Amino acid sequence: MPAKWKTELVRFIPLITLLGLVALVATIEPSFVRFSTLTVLVSDTMTLFLMASGATFVILMGGIDLSVQAVASMTSVVVAALLPELGVLAVPVAVAAGLIAGAAGGISHTLLRIPSFISTLAVSGVVTTAAFLFSNERSINISGETRDAHLAWMVGEFAGVQAEIWVGLILLLVLLFVQIWTPIGRFCRIIGAGEQAAIASGIRVDRIKVYAFMLSGATAGFAGVMMAARLGSGSPTLANEFLLPSIAAIIVGGTALTGGVGSVWRTFIGALIIAVVRIGMTFVGVSVFAQQIVFGLVLVLAVAVTIDRSKILIVK
Amino acid sequence: MSRAVSAVLEVSHATKSFPGVVALDDVTFEVRANEVVGLIGENGAGKSTLLKVLTGVYPLDEGEVLVNGESARLRGPRDAFDHGVAMVFQEQSVLITLSVAENIFLGREAEFTRGGVLLKAKMHAAARVELQKVRLDVDPATSCADLTFAQRQMVEIAKALSLDSRIDGDIVVLLDEPTSVLEAKEIELLFEIVRDLRDRAAFIFISHRLDEVLAVSDRVYVMRDGAIVGEMASADATTEKMHELMVGRALQHEYYRENRQGEPGEEIALSVSGLAAAGFTDVSLALRKGEILGIAGVVGSGREDLARALAGLAPISAGEVSVNGRPVRLTSPSDAVGAGIGYVPRERKVEGIVAGASVVENMTMASIDDFISLGIIRHGRERKVAQSWIDRLRIRTPSTETMVGSLSGGNQQKMVLSKWQIAGSSIMVLDHPTRGVDVGAKEDVYELIRDMTDQGLSIILLGDTLEELIGLSHKILVMRDGRITATFDAPVGAKPEQIELITHMV
Repeated sequence: MPAKWKTELVRFIPLITLLGLVALVATIEPSFVRFSTLTVLVSDTMTLFLMASGATFVILMGGIDLSVQAVASMTSVVVAALLPELGVLAVPVAVAAGLIAGAAGGISHTLLRIPSFISTLAVSGVVTTAAFLFSNERSINISGETRDAHLAWMVGEFAGVQAEIWVGLILLLVLLFVQIWTPIGRFCRIIGAGEQAAIASGIRVDRIKVYAFMLSGATAGFAGVMMAARLGSGSPTLANEFLLPSIAAIIVGGTALTGGVGSVWRTFIGALIIAVVRIGMTFVGVSVFAQQIVFGLVLVLAVAVTIDRSKILIVK
Repeated sequence: MSRAVSAVLEVSHATKSFPGVVALDDVTFEVRANEVVGLIGENGAGKSTLLKVLTGVYPLDEGEVLVNGESARLRGPRDAFDHGVAMVFQEQSVLITLSVAENIFLGREAEFTRGGVLLKAKMHAAARVELQKVRLDVDPATSCADLTFAQRQMVEIAKALSLDSRIDGDIVVLLDEPTSVLEAKEIELLFEIVRDLRDRAAFIFISHRLDEVLAVSDRVYVMRDGAIVGEMASADATTEKMHELMVGRALQHEYYRENRQGEPGEEIALSVSGLAAAGFTDVSLALRKGEILGIAGVVGSGREDLARALAGLAPISAGEVSVNGRPVRLTSPSDAVGAGIGYVPRERKVEGIVAGASVVENMTMASIDDFISLGIIRHGRERKVAQSWIDRLRIRTPSTETMVGSLSGGNQQKMVLSKWQIAGSSIMVLDHPTRGVDVGAKEDVYELIRDMTDQGLSIILLGDTLEELIGLSHKILVMRDGRITATFDAPVGAKPEQIELITHMV
């Protein structure tokens, strides 16, 4: 297959897949394509998108972040615990906690020259334990008043559409800006496409890498805040089931696991695909637990399609 | 025996094209039993392609390969091996974590296996026989990591010769630049071994050292631009004759734009004193403004290590470097870039370009800060600068947004050169700048190098060939075993001869 044709195809497959899936579910359940149903679906998907959005940069760079679910759980606890005291300021604190966790993964990855999957896996363990200690191994409730007072902008409604969607769209725009207009965004992709040439050109590759992991940690932290706001509580295991779907969202969207090719908007589409598949399975009556099997399969398939085999001769 | 004169391995009217290049053009080539055949040509002449055809790596577009007079379709090195054709690789393929015996019989373990168990004693005994052939006196159980470079090369040759015990017919051993990593004494030993073994095997000997080829071969083929341009008995050949055939032109002065070789300025752009790093030691040099300083040396002479150290890609252990009189620390490539040193690497596809990024992204990669204001990359400004260099260097690309991987080698190289000019580098370290660049584009690159010196840029050049190095340089340093062994001035009209350099290289 000509390389160019393939990249073009890979670029649009996710969008076509999404529309196809929506159409498929609609034939089974026509009410699915109603505006109100769709907005509920999209708003439900935003936590997943938030969690995967920053991690897209890490994968774009050819690395991986296995700590997003742990970071999100941790920040859900942080925001739930601090909200009564700090008010809305608890949100930046939680995001900063995520950013620090990301930095830890990134710095250990670059400084010690260990694979990112190990460094972030280790961070994931540390962060989970920290969250357990911080919360005394319990979930922390957010009272209705506190939530309405400080987090309504995130889980309320604006212009007849759920606030989550607005938050997600704003984040998408911000990250697209980072991706296209800032050196961090550009060099994440360039590092993924040819790290050695980037190094030889004098780019401070390690620094860019750490920034990418920090971004991933921050958006995962933000995702944790949104989860806590939606569910009205924070817990050290809140986001545990989200690792597989968030990586799947990135890859299904068409960002190659080998790095160098991809975009945040693809992750947006990828997250929606995951959501529609989930809904579709619920309609068909697949149990929540069995759904993980499907996500596993989807992930393997998506990686097989998007991976750039010319870049890796031997897969380990 | 009639077999003594018949061809063991033959290529008949072989043609092989790659996009944009005819790598082999109607090549007919044969090796007779018990013969040592030399194959010479410049880089890019088609030697490697021919070898890859003989070992089944590349299928032919036209023509055929014949083994013992019969047409054979070789499907890969393994298949070629089974047909009696073994290759000794230029870049050693010995696995250093395995023992000598394991390397020699790699892939043939089944012959030493009973009931799924590898009989080491049997394998070691067989390995000892093979080691004797190459006069290598090591225990077959030795790990290859403990061998010297030369010894590993002998293991590699032993591996190729081990075919002998398996194949009924004659075997052919391809030696691809086997001497490049060897010392003079070891080379002599290798030649002795080759002469000894010729009653068991035919050899194809590839080298760009003409005197070596003449010393060991019975017959020589000369390749240029994908075609065989000469074939002669070694007894009738002289190095001058071969060289002329190889280069194919008498007017090399024009080719290298020697008329444009100006007088360098007095200011010292780069001064290096007592520099040492892995691969070289105590290197001192002064590069004047507008000067091209060529560095000659064989593989392992340390010249590549020197180039990488100046590019900040290898840690410096001692010595000082100053740029325009100011001392600089080169601990990373970004230090080197900051000091105004640009590096055009030998492995363009790995370190020179990012194939999956656009032309403009590649061009501004070393100077992105100049295109950022208020934290935002100014795409418009970038594109304008990129377009002006595309026009100026006549880089053939559909647009500034084209992926660099789809450009030809020559255009990629021009793009790499423009990357450093955009970055405002005042010193360029050119490591094999014309490698993998086709003949026409080479001239463009030479023109470009002259343009750069006209603008006052200073250049350290590691040429792809000696001829190129001599043709372009103002001054030439020769390195051997990590030290500078000679210095030659190379003004127009009084350029040193290749042989003068070679005597200091080996």
